[in-house]
Amino acid sequence: MDLDKQNANPTILNPSDLPSRRRETQVKRRDDGGTGLFDDLIPPYNYLNDPFDQAISSSDSDDDAVEQIDEQEVYDLISSISDPEHPLSLGSLAVVNLPDIHIQPPTSPHSCISTVVVEITPTITHCSLATVIGLGVRVRLEQALPPRFRVDVRIKKGTHSTDEAVNKQLGDKERVAAALENGTLMGVLRKMLSTCE
Amino acid sequence: MSDIQQYLLDYDRNKKEASATAQRSATRLKDGDLKLLKLVEELGEYFNSEDGVTRSRTMGYLAEVLALIPPKVLSLQQRNLLCDFILARTDDGEGIGNCAKALTALEERGKWDSERVQKIMETLLANTNPLRQFKQQSERYPVLRLVDMLMAKYRDALRTLHDSTPDFLSRFIAYFDGEKDPRNLMVVFSILKVPMAEWNIGADAQDLFDAVFNYFPITFRPPPDDPYGITAQDLKDRLRECIASTSDFAPYAFPALLDKLDSTSMNTKRDVLQTITSAVAEYGPHTISLYSITLWDALKFEILNVQEEDLAEEALSGLAAIAKTLSQGTPGPLNAYLRPIFKECNEHLEDAPTKQSQAAARILHRIANVSPDVTNILLAGILPTLFTLFQSADAMAKRRGLLEVFVQLIKANIGVYGDWRSPGIAGEQSANNALAQFRDQALEVTMSGLEDAPVEQVSFRVVCLDGLLQLSKARGLLTDEHIGKIIQLFYAVVVHEQSYGKDDVKNGAINGLVEIAHQKPQVVIEKAFPAFMAQLPDTDLDGSSGYFSVLEAFAKLASEDKVFDTVILRLKNKFSSAVNQNASSSYIIALLSAILYALTKGANKLEQNHESSNHYQDIVLPLLQRTSSTDSSHPKAFDDETTLDLVGRICNIIVRSHSAEQQQAVAAELYTLFRGTAQDELPPFNLNANPETNRTMVVSTQLLASLHKETRLPCEIELLVSSLANYTQQPHLSAPVRSASLRQISLVINKYYSTSALKTCMEPLINGPLELFNADKLDPPRIRVIFACLKGISLRSSPSLSILYPHVLSFLSHPKYGTTIAHGFSTLLQPDDLLTKQNHCQISGLHKQKSFALLVPNITRLFREAPADMKPNYLIALSGILNGMPFDIVMEEVDQLILLLLQSLDLKGEDLVKEAAIATLTSTLVEKPAVVEEHVGSLVTRLLANSVINKETRTPPKVRAAALRCLTLVPDKLKLEVVLPYRRQVCKKLTAALDDRKREVRSAAVKARARWLEVDEAGDDE
Repeated sequence: MDLDKQNANPTILNPSDLPSRRRETQVKRRDDGGTGLFDDLIPPYNYLNDPFDQAISSSDSDDDAVEQIDEQEVYDLISSISDPEHPLSLGSLAVVNLPDIHIQPPTSPHSCISTVVVEITPTITHCSLATVIGLGVRVRLEQALPPRFRVDVRIKKGTHSTDEAVNKQLGDKERVAAALENGTLMGVLRKMLSTCE
Repeated sequence: MSDIQQYLLDYDRNKKEASATAQRSATRLKDGDLKLLKLVEELGEYFNSEDGVTRSRTMGYLAEVLALIPPKVLSLQQRNLLCDFILARTDDGEGIGNCAKALTALEERGKWDSERVQKIMETLLANTNPLRQFKQQSERYPVLRLVDMLMAKYRDALRTLHDSTPDFLSRFIAYFDGEKDPRNLMVVFSILKVPMAEWNIGADAQDLFDAVFNYFPITFRPPPDDPYGITAQDLKDRLRECIASTSDFAPYAFPALLDKLDSTSMNTKRDVLQTITSAVAEYGPHTISLYSITLWDALKFEILNVQEEDLAEEALSGLAAIAKTLSQGTPGPLNAYLRPIFKECNEHLEDAPTKQSQAAARILHRIANVSPDVTNILLAGILPTLFTLFQSADAMAKRRGLLEVFVQLIKANIGVYGDWRSPGIAGEQSANNALAQFRDQALEVTMSGLEDAPVEQVSFRVVCLDGLLQLSKARGLLTDEHIGKIIQLFYAVVVHEQSYGKDDVKNGAINGLVEIAHQKPQVVIEKAFPAFMAQLPDTDLDGSSGYFSVLEAFAKLASEDKVFDTVILRLKNKFSSAVNQNASSSYIIALLSAILYALTKGANKLEQNHESSNHYQDIVLPLLQRTSSTDSSHPKAFDDETTLDLVGRICNIIVRSHSAEQQQAVAAELYTLFRGTAQDELPPFNLNANPETNRTMVVSTQLLASLHKETRLPCEIELLVSSLANYTQQPHLSAPVRSASLRQISLVINKYYSTSALKTCMEPLINGPLELFNADKLDPPRIRVIFACLKGISLRSSPSLSILYPHVLSFLSHPKYGTTIAHGFSTLLQPDDLLTKQNHCQISGLHKQKSFALLVPNITRLFREAPADMKPNYLIALSGILNGMPFDIVMEEVDQLILLLLQSLDLKGEDLVKEAAIATLTSTLVEKPAVVEEHVGSLVTRLLANSVINKETRTPPKVRAAALRCLTLVPDKLKLEVVLPYRRQVCKKLTAALDDRKREVRSAAVKARARWLEVDEAGDDE
């Protein structure tokens, strides 16, 4: 894969500025303001636990709490995709951004279909790889989200010279399917997705 | 028959016998039975043979004989004659290799003079030039070895030859032309390196250079079972040394190398970069000054547009090497080299933070590291622009990018001028550090950045913090006052700031404080400690609770050696006043945790330093007295087992570093705990003691754990064990007290029984009133005692295990308590925080192997014989054993276990068992996939069943995630054709797991599914 670089010098975000899931459980537990430094002092296998009782009480009680799929989770799924030009993630290049991800609940109470809308921001307005990136995001989400989600990937308005044309391509199911038959393109996509966590 | 006849006759049949003939001739020559003249005469006939092979072998015979003659047998005259004779034979065209061998053998028997050496060299060049006319590697090799030897031993002679013969060098170079064999090349490179490095090569420089550079880049790949063991790397190294050997090569080497840098092969580029780096290091400042800018222009691209990370690293080394070489010369060229660099870097800084501004930071960091001069020039060239850009920047991101570059520069500066603890490569020179001129500006920018930027600007503040930390480390840069301010700033972040995000800034500040404490312990103690102490209340009865983060940060400082003692002292004082002022239990627990944490961090110091008897007087004794007392000195918090466990651990960590002698005082008061009551009235000896006294057993357990086995127990060992066994049977004991007392049984057995007594140590319990092994009397309290004993014994690998284990295994089919017994096995081998080497326990290196060998094969056998309703017990026991077992022990038996493991996945409600089974299956997949291969169908089905939630089996999320992770490994470790048939099924079933209610499980499912989707794609490619 030897593409001429269209943007040789993109701006890079620092990892600590990327949105990440705040460890809510931990924050909740620690209302004393500590960071949990002393939690590991007593090893989990310490002798005060009785192995003979443990087996009975082992089934987690908090298993019932449901953690819904949210925007952050979608972000985590796609932000680690690599850019086709650089060995950098879409997240650190700000191609995908948390505020540009929206989950729309089912439109009617009878339907269970939610829609995930992802708007991507190409690093430069004439980037011809925008379609490939969009396709990569789409493929990733279709593989990683349960079927009750519809995936809608588009270029953010005003960030690309031909955003409407690209959006048309990305929205056209048949063209997407045809693109995925293309071996070279699949090769590029596979490389992009290989860094996903 | 003459020897030569015999030799030639044997040569084809048996090389060994031929050599024996040569040996015989040599011996006869030595003994005088054979005259040299006669020997040579006999050879004459064969040297004149029509057959080239015969002539060559005859010379071979001569060479062998010569090599076998002991020294001093041949006279100088004889040697000279022989030498002339052999040299005359070199125009034969056959047997040149043997001629060379013979000459080498002669040389070993007596040194040559210069004339002779020159004659040999000239004759070789006249008769055998070029060497490539000899097709056999084995012919050329001895010649090369001969020349190499001449080069090594007669350097002056050959050099004179070169100086006095104008065309000698060109003939010499041409002589080796066209050599291709790697073994020969190794010798050729080493021969040619001598003229390169030592001779005046003048006009022949280019030829000489081409003679070696023709081989660049080396693409040799040794055959799979190469007997000579020459690798491509060996050749590369030698070739690189040749190229770097003389600066006369520079006009040819740099253009040629830079030309090859455009290659598309990464290996070639790597070679080029490494060669440039070594050439730069050798050619000297004058030569390099001519090429430095050309090289910079070429090398920078490898860093600004990274293709491969290691290429960028090599290019950086190259740039640094240039700076290093130039700083050995005059300042002019160094300035000329650095000017375009900081100019270019300044340009990249303008649009920070980009890929290229990051690259600029890397370049600056690497080059600035080289020498004081370079650092100073770069700082003067970069920092003014950097700060101007910083002031005019409107975006935080840009400011952050600029400061990142700045931090890299200070780090390099510290490398050169050192930190407070040790001087850098420049030695004691901090007065000349150019960073001093920018000190105030740098401090202001970073301090206000950390202080004033909003908390959301995490990365900006992190880099400010890093900058401040580096500034405070730089040797001789800041005053203690400045450092004090930085400490206060860090402290404020740690203590007063709201928690935000992943708390990168807070964690950075705590770690920063620890690092500064390493550099400037006194300043930290003076500046930060009072502030910390002021934030820690004496009592929290007014409802304050902000103390926790302060305590955490403060305890963390204990990891720094020089402040450790002060941290402990202050914490201890705080604890005393908290108790005196009736602080709440949670505050007291927090303080105890902090003390324990600090002690753990300083554990090394405790062990080295036996003066810790201070800590014993100041901490252990008061704590024990508070524990056992019943008056006002006994805090309410001490009425709780978990608190007492903390107390016990604190005492343990201090006491265990003492000698057995010092420990005796504690050992005597193990149960009385200095309360002045007779031991008999207390647990475990008195079953009717005041219930309040039961709790202190938790502390006694930790104390017992800290003792050396040489200490004396406060009573007879049998009495203690049986008392403990009885004591733990009482139904009213709280669970922690019971566990602690059981653990005392394990500890006593492990430490205090002699090896011979250990064999029978359980007898009193088995035969006594307890009747431990009586199946009719079996109940959970007895089962606990059984396993407590076994735990202590198994760690010592006692032979008695082979009698004890079968008894216990037989209880697995006990109708009522089989399952309880089964769960007990998990206690035997699990990691344990009390029975450890640090606690002076006796732990045999092979105890896990021993227990495994005694238990697992028996379990698999009994499992087959067991009735269906008892089978789960065996699976539970098995998983308990496997859980604590390193996989290399399991690996031997794993093919026997695989069916049991798979069946464990069908158990209902035994989640820990499933988890253990999945863990073992996962390790099996990684280490010994072949075993799993035939069971892949049932493995995949069962893993799938455990990865999806359904109504009947409420598989917990941990098991679901583990099953999914194991499933991800399957296509990695097994052959494509084995897994391909399951792809469709797996991908379909996993869709359900993608919608799991737990995030952790979903994330594992995404990975598993992505991996399995690839299975097909990989198939398409083939």
